[in-house]
Amino acid sequence: MLKPRALSDVLSQANTGGVGSTLLLNSEGSLLAFSGFGDKDASAAGAIASNIWTSFQKSGQLSLDDSKLDCVLVECKFGKIAITKVANLLLCLCSDENVSFGMLKTKITAMSSYLEEPLSQIASS
Amino acid sequence: MTEDLKSYLNKQMATVDNLHAIAITDRDGVVIVKVANQMAPDTALRQAFLSVFGIMTEQASKMGIGNNSKIINFYDRFQTVQINSHPLLLHFIADRDANTGLILELEHALADVLQDISKVVTMM
Repeated sequence: MLKPRALSDVLSQANTGGVGSTLLLNSEGSLLAFSGFGDKDASAAGAIASNIWTSFQKSGQLSLDDSKLDCVLVECKFGKIAITKVANLLLCLCSDENVSFGMLKTKITAMSSYLEEPLSQIASS
Repeated sequence: MTEDLKSYLNKQMATVDNLHAIAITDRDGVVIVKVANQMAPDTALRQAFLSVFGIMTEQASKMGIGNNSKIINFYDRFQTVQINSHPLLLHFIADRDANTGLILELEHALADVLQDISKVVTMM
């Protein structure tokens, strides 16, 4: 079964070099696990990130020759966010504005590859 | 004048390998000007697809990290780079393996064009 403490420790490994928090969300946008600092409302950000993912996923299927969404990178004035799918969940990295997109994408890709197998086992059980 | 604009956009599009379309729209996704080659899916240049960014950029601006400026989507075969340049939206559609950095740089190359079109849109 899922060990919340161990999962949080794994997520915290991404929280270096400007990456402030890492979130794991279910398909409905509810927060499953969180690791990070700051007083921001992670559950609200997670819900919006989930909505962004779902909207672009649907529009890509309809308008881009049935393409499958792989990764979303969002840049705002004071920070950046990366979102990707892992098993049947969403992984979200939040960083400050100085972190480059390349680093954010590399981190989220590495973390999703690492978590894919264990979280897929949970999903199928 | 529209032909000059399209010609300029086509030239910019040619500077990035596997970039298939550039579109400038208003905040509702209504196309103001667009250029595309045969590789760009027709459906991706319609309001139904382009308007999604208009809605999502507003949502992303509520995440507590300031106003949204860009959203980049990587699909299995395509990538979309969409830029919020109020009151306009700038959309690029490219292959998955196109150079995202070069596409992002095109925002600066198109800054004057966007400013000129913005004046017209704001007047209306």
